[in-house]
Amino acid sequence: MIKIKKGLDLPIAGAAERRITYARDIGFYAVRPTDYVGLVPRLLVAEGDRVSAGDALLCDKNDERVRFVAPVSGVVKAVVRGEKRKLLAVVVERREWENEEGKKNEHIPVFDRPSKEGTAATANSQFSILNSQFLKESMLQQGLWPMLRQRPYGTVANPDDTPKAIVVSCFDSAPLAPDYDFALQGREQDLCKGLETLALLGAGCLYMCFRPGQRLAGVVGQYTPLHRDDAKVVFVEGPHPAGNVGTQIAQLCPINKGETVWTMTPQDVAVLGHWVKTGEYCPERVIAVAGPQAKNPQYYRIMAGACVERIVRSQLMNPDYPAFKMADESLKQVRVVSGNVLSGEQIAPDGFIGAYDSLLTLLPEGDYYDFMGWLLPGLNKYSFSRTFVSGFMQLLRKAKLINDDVIDYKFDTNMHGGVRPLVFTGDMERVFPFDIYPLQLLKACIVGDVELMEKLGIYEVEPEDYALCEFIDPSKTEMQAVIREALEKLRKEAM
Amino acid sequence: MFDRLRDFITKIKPNFVEGGKFAWLQSTFEAFETFAFTPNTVTKRGSHVRDAVDMKRAMITVVIALLPALLFGMWNTGYQTSLTAEWWPYEQGSAASWWYCLWFGFLRMLPLIVVSYVVGLGIEFMFAQIRHHEVNEGYLVTGLIIPMIVPVTTPLWQLALAVAFAVVLGKEVFGGSGMNFLNPALVARAFLFFSYPTHMSGDSVWIAADLWGSDAIAGATPLGELAAGTMPTASALDMLIGTISGSTCETSVIAILLGAVVLLVSGIASWRTMLAVMLGGGAMGLLFNLIGANTYMQLPFYYHYLIGGFMFGAVFMATDPVTSAQTNTGKWIYGVLIGLFAVLLRVVNPAYPEGMMLSILLMNSFAPLIDHCVVASNIRRRAKRAARKEVRI
Repeated sequence: MIKIKKGLDLPIAGAAERRITYARDIGFYAVRPTDYVGLVPRLLVAEGDRVSAGDALLCDKNDERVRFVAPVSGVVKAVVRGEKRKLLAVVVERREWENEEGKKNEHIPVFDRPSKEGTAATANSQFSILNSQFLKESMLQQGLWPMLRQRPYGTVANPDDTPKAIVVSCFDSAPLAPDYDFALQGREQDLCKGLETLALLGAGCLYMCFRPGQRLAGVVGQYTPLHRDDAKVVFVEGPHPAGNVGTQIAQLCPINKGETVWTMTPQDVAVLGHWVKTGEYCPERVIAVAGPQAKNPQYYRIMAGACVERIVRSQLMNPDYPAFKMADESLKQVRVVSGNVLSGEQIAPDGFIGAYDSLLTLLPEGDYYDFMGWLLPGLNKYSFSRTFVSGFMQLLRKAKLINDDVIDYKFDTNMHGGVRPLVFTGDMERVFPFDIYPLQLLKACIVGDVELMEKLGIYEVEPEDYALCEFIDPSKTEMQAVIREALEKLRKEAM
Repeated sequence: MFDRLRDFITKIKPNFVEGGKFAWLQSTFEAFETFAFTPNTVTKRGSHVRDAVDMKRAMITVVIALLPALLFGMWNTGYQTSLTAEWWPYEQGSAASWWYCLWFGFLRMLPLIVVSYVVGLGIEFMFAQIRHHEVNEGYLVTGLIIPMIVPVTTPLWQLALAVAFAVVLGKEVFGGSGMNFLNPALVARAFLFFSYPTHMSGDSVWIAADLWGSDAIAGATPLGELAAGTMPTASALDMLIGTISGSTCETSVIAILLGAVVLLVSGIASWRTMLAVMLGGGAMGLLFNLIGANTYMQLPFYYHYLIGGFMFGAVFMATDPVTSAQTNTGKWIYGVLIGLFAVLLRVVNPAYPEGMMLSILLMNSFAPLIDHCVVASNIRRRAKRAARKEVRI
């Protein structure tokens, strides 16, 4: 059991209710090269091509074995490019033509689809003869490989590396995060199978991290193929970022220079497991749609890369108004974030969900002036410091003198102040559970001192690990961007 | 009304941006605009939501923490004069006299505060404009602290010079707030101390003789008495409450502790630094008690907390986040050394009656070294771990 003491849980309203809607009517899906750090994509299809789920759309120019595949069958509707013809997205429109005999599963040479009754037995016996090289090649071939990410750098894992460990965080502690116990309901066996596959894949240890008392932990713990020396169930307790894989890696197997650790999100592990069991590539994902602007926060069952427009509109809908008219007006006042509010990415209201995200957050935009905002008591302003009256309400709440819902904190995208030099010290350490000096590392990154960055532990962090530091910073420094730039600089030097 | 003000600001704003009529006042305009309204900027990269605290809020919290000491200092300025001035119009101890003490102190302090802010902020605005930066809020605190730690009879022109010196050479040459390595308020104090020693020390600077002017009534401070080799005449209780002569707002330990509570509860200042300074000072005082070679060494160790600027320095100046050590371990070392040196300087070197100022300035300059050593141990630990290359659970 690992206890994380440093951290912070943000009391944002609008957590998803435990209810799933199957969003089967979503028409557009996209693979976005920008979701993958440092990827230089090569386009393999053209507009108008017919593709099946699992067909490659893109590959990595630097390693053509790494392929990015269509999540659904359909027609390549658009190849979206930005400035300097940078490839932004390949959009696939879902069509039903793929049901023609023989089209499905053409890319799965590894496993025959086991018969319904003998699923477990067949797959297990297959495992015994699998070696990790064979498995790797199959995953690359099928386009499952990009689900594996590596640290440092946060890029897609390099198939030629031997990681020192694989870490899967089976819970998310971020604000409004989905509960995987619920999101993976019914797919527990896929998850177990996927974890088993990962255990076979890496040379290092597989760490599976859970919250104490998590239902999935029990399921995984009882799955006998995972009873092996190099697969460990770990319990992590504490506030966010306890669920961040970076926090867990720092506790379990801190990364030294030259080492890599691989990670995968639990939803992707389930996709992997499903593929191993059935031979079918089905990137199904249950995402939480949450946030102060969500009228009806709940879970949705979608395919990876789905367009979020229908979901967003239905969430903004006011029952008293004609649906789309009202939504059009509200769209301007809402920020759609793929991922959590701390480290997610802003997408357009008709954009596509990020490749690794299981959460869609709808936040109010904070484009307003606040009269004497720095002086007034600030009853509904949330601050980690206790410089506002709300801070004392938090104390009362902790002492159980008032209820949780007495204070309705206002969370929006306002910066709450101007950018200043880094003046205050000692606060970052309170939300940064690493054996790293966050301020000193940040400053080393700002000045671009590579040697110092390495000494101070840059390889152990990703931007998301700095998200809470960025949140509480009175100087409003863009720390995650600084860390990303520093990591990219190191990555390019290492190439 | 706020809407109308907002509309007005929005209307005149184009004049103050690049290419406008008053572009040379851009920083000044921005400072006043953001003073009236927290700006409407939204997050673009990174965390989409941000903590409500900003530099203005943090600095204003420190100013609030300074208020008890400031108000008490004003009252005490009047009170000290009332004790000895023959012209004092009210009877000692009457309610009217109490209120007149506060009014008198207010009138004496006001010019000091105004000069400090006008000169200091003027320079800050100028530098911000030249650099095309926004005006930093750091001087809101510095500008208030400076009049609080000088004798009430300090001539205004000396104060203005000291402020200018501190802001330019103590801060702006290094790049402004956040980049300086010496506490600007202490730089101003040290400038005055070394440039105009006759106005800054001795027995005849601490009590204002009249409502204006630099004439003073003679009256020894406890520090002065101790430096002269005698025990302070004021009781410990008087020193705790602060009804003694001294720098304007440093005398009341109770008022300063009220400020400390504000700083600690709000989380703006480091409790580590404060506690460490107290521990360091107490330890050194105890050590001198053991030696006991003269009156000063025999002074009960806790008297060091009560006299001079020890408490004010520990609460408001040692904790300055920019010039103190920045690592938590470093803060302990830094604080303890400040306490040690402050008492050491007081007792062993009577040429400088107040050791706190010099001690903090000394440790300001060593803070980066302390941090360097602390961070180096982290670096060594990481290097060792890399050498071991083992996976632990």
